[in-house]
Amino acid sequence: MTEKKAKTTKVSREKETPKQIATKIDNMAKGIVTEIKKGIDPEFTTQQRGRSNVEFDEKKGLLRLGEKRTTRNFLNVGHAKKFMQTMLVSAKAYDYLKHNKTASIREIYYELKHTVPNTKENTFEDQTESDSCIVDLEHSVNTIREKLNLHANPKGTLYGDVVLKDKVHHNDKFNCGKLGRGGWSIMSRLEPEEIEIVSCNAKYILVIETAAMYERLVEERFPQKNKCVLIGTGGQAARGTRRLIHRLHKEKNLPVLVFTDGDPYGWYIYSVIKQGSMALAAHSPFMACPEAKYIGMTLDDIETYKLQNVTERMKDGDIKRAKEMMEYPWFQNKEWQAQLKKALKEKVRIEQQALANKSLEFVATEYLPTKIKNKDFLP
Amino acid sequence: MAEKKEVEPTIIDAEHLAKEFKEHSVAEFFKKNKQMLGLYGKVRTLTTVIHEYVTNSLDACEEANILPDITVKISEIATEYYEIEVKDNGPGLTKETVGKALGQLLAGTKFHRMIQSRGQQGIGSSGCTMLAQTTTGKPCKVITGTGKGKPISLELSIDPKHNLPKIANMKEIDRDFRGLAVQAKFKGVLYRDSEQGPLEYLRRTAIANPHAQIKFTDPTGQKFVFKRSAVKVPKPPIAVKPHPKGVTVDEIVTLSKYSDARKVSSFLRSDFDRMGQKSLEEITKKVSFDMNKDPKQLRWDEAEEIVKAFKEINFIAPSSDALRPIGEERITKSLQNIVDPEFMHVLTRKPQVYSGGFPFQVEVSIAYGGKAGRTISGGSDGPQKRLEIMRFANRSPLLFDAGNCAITKAVHSIEWKRYDIKDIDNAPVTVLVNFISVYIPYTGAGKQAIADEEDVIEEIRLALMQSGRKAGRYISGKRKEAERLMKRELFYKYIPEIVTALNAITKTDKDILDKKLRKMVLLKLKLDDEKEAKENGENKKDEGIEVAKKENAHSKDEPEKTEKETKKEKPEPKKEDHKKKTKAKSNKK
Repeated sequence: MTEKKAKTTKVSREKETPKQIATKIDNMAKGIVTEIKKGIDPEFTTQQRGRSNVEFDEKKGLLRLGEKRTTRNFLNVGHAKKFMQTMLVSAKAYDYLKHNKTASIREIYYELKHTVPNTKENTFEDQTESDSCIVDLEHSVNTIREKLNLHANPKGTLYGDVVLKDKVHHNDKFNCGKLGRGGWSIMSRLEPEEIEIVSCNAKYILVIETAAMYERLVEERFPQKNKCVLIGTGGQAARGTRRLIHRLHKEKNLPVLVFTDGDPYGWYIYSVIKQGSMALAAHSPFMACPEAKYIGMTLDDIETYKLQNVTERMKDGDIKRAKEMMEYPWFQNKEWQAQLKKALKEKVRIEQQALANKSLEFVATEYLPTKIKNKDFLP
Repeated sequence: MAEKKEVEPTIIDAEHLAKEFKEHSVAEFFKKNKQMLGLYGKVRTLTTVIHEYVTNSLDACEEANILPDITVKISEIATEYYEIEVKDNGPGLTKETVGKALGQLLAGTKFHRMIQSRGQQGIGSSGCTMLAQTTTGKPCKVITGTGKGKPISLELSIDPKHNLPKIANMKEIDRDFRGLAVQAKFKGVLYRDSEQGPLEYLRRTAIANPHAQIKFTDPTGQKFVFKRSAVKVPKPPIAVKPHPKGVTVDEIVTLSKYSDARKVSSFLRSDFDRMGQKSLEEITKKVSFDMNKDPKQLRWDEAEEIVKAFKEINFIAPSSDALRPIGEERITKSLQNIVDPEFMHVLTRKPQVYSGGFPFQVEVSIAYGGKAGRTISGGSDGPQKRLEIMRFANRSPLLFDAGNCAITKAVHSIEWKRYDIKDIDNAPVTVLVNFISVYIPYTGAGKQAIADEEDVIEEIRLALMQSGRKAGRYISGKRKEAERLMKRELFYKYIPEIVTALNAITKTDKDILDKKLRKMVLLKLKLDDEKEAKENGENKKDEGIEVAKKENAHSKDEPEKTEKETKKEKPEPKKEDHKKKTKAKSNKK
């Protein structure tokens, strides 16, 4: 995919109507029916996924899906079930589009899950199976799941002086800094035709990994005092959350600062927000924020703030993750290599909440403001 | 038949025996050395006793050209105390011979000639009489009918000092009976329903002797019948004189007692095969005694010198005419009758020679499924099957010393995996090997294991590999058939789901899609099979007999006539809008 092409794809994708998408599914199904009638092993083509087909675009600072295509056949012992599952998902998505319904990916999983007649086997054993079929279908008909009237379970919250308009729900307009302490629950579908960012009175976005830290900063009135938007991801950022960060960043020109636990898992959350994820590499241009900066926690904070007695031992999983990350092209810079090396050497991690060791307010009054003032960030 | 054997490693015993030979009768010797004769171990002793009686019955019937009907009953009187009854329909024994046959050691008809005989291992039925007497103090009860005159019953024991039969209570009985019935009691023995017990012994005897019918009642009263599957008595083996390379010291001593020759030299010349003037001259040079002495005066140590000389001299190899295999057809019928396997391959190889001159022949069979394999109680999983190796020497089952036997070694030396027989140790497989020779190279006096002569092992291996290929093809064919069915089901089960989904989108008729998809699955599986068959190719040589049960043959459910074009290659995968390096990764086979 060339850069140009990505843009045209973006435009054409965003303009497609549900009816057009339904026609695309219909065409795919008709192709399969024709193959069956001719006695040809039916197959459908999709993008190959996973690390082997993910490329890092250094110039744009994004992960991109490569061009490796893969076909799935029915007459293949290893593919037959997957083929059947994708047919079920396609038919269901077609049905949603026709009847103007939307469903969460968990709902479609439950709607399609049943016992295959005369067997002891389920159509889907768990949601990962139907999720993977949804991704196949997205690639197969070259669209995004939101266009298939599917959405992930919402996760993530927004707090701050941002006015949004829900265009598909009475055109409700609301300020996300006036919804109480909980803020606004970020929806999974955040396309401009549904949610409009009306205005935003902030200097930057602060993305926070843990819910507890998010609540701490709200209680300390950090957004008001520092004129920023808080976004709590609650772990790995969901699709809608990433889309919202991307949109605020692009549309309102806000810098993005990311604040996670000081461990490989937290750092990876940062990298997904900045460069995109391998699983959704195809959508990075709509989701990633290549200019995002990392504010903490770093392993250097342990010495700087004398937190040695509140560190934790890294687990085997952390160590494995750190080793993998050292190899990723998008972690090839001296700052992150140094962090990862240090992590592997000292085998310790530090949580955001460990800052409470100083005092509850410490994070809001000292840690963050100092770092921001000194531009003490990791790239 | 009754004979005692020299144990090679225990030369001291032999020397001791040489000195004592004159003073003590053979009966005395037996009493003191019964372990040398296979009579050790409680289970083994009981099986050996059954073996002696049954072997005698089979030999007697064969010689009289009678189809043997043998009935065996074992009853438990008390702990380790059993009564055994063996009855046959053979020619019976006359008043005059019964005492000698059952009550005198080393007295029999078989010593005067050398044939491929079963009765070479153990103690003979006189030995059983002796054992009964020494363990219980009781005589054996015998009924014998020759078909002429009335049958007689008698009680028989042995005078161990003089090796003479003692007969008591002889009387005519008033009923029709031809054959021999012996009833004897034994203490210190044990019945086990194991691989080495009497039942397994009789089962294997029946397999190797399809012309015999054997009925058996075990100590719990359970009855077993091994029916006859061949209606012809096999040709009796040709009597040949013993070949000098194959005789043992005691055989020479025994033969010398019965010889009519006046000199040892003429005794050797008349009683042994391939014994020419030149050989005799060489022997004369090698021995320390006078070859002109009376053979009846030949001492044990002198017989040892003769054996030593035999070993040093070259003789012409014995002839292979005397070999009598069971035969492929008989083994096949017999296994069908008793093992009833799903599949078997039976092979009788051509005669070979070992140790540079001894003719021998190997028969093998590999049977799979049915009652093949050894059943073991597998705990919670229920009974399970294990590999069973049936060893025979001249049709006589070998139940003991399996680990030392050339047959066992040959079976285990084969990489069965190469023949697609995975994990043979836990497969329902019976491997039968019959080793046939006038001179079986036993490992010891117990005569339960064949020495691992290189030529012997190699020949057994060759036979097993030949059979293994056939069995392996069947077993893998069966496995592939199961896989094929599994595959078909795997595809079939998803068809209704796919059809419903495609119908929901495109409204295409469900029945048409369903039929087309099913047809496609069958066609694919058929093409896979053909491709595989082509890859494997077919064996040119077909030796031996191969039998597979019909109901297990591949169940063909071919697709109805398929249009030709469906076989045609499929079009290239659509490339859509991806121009460059579209590596369509196709996993199709």
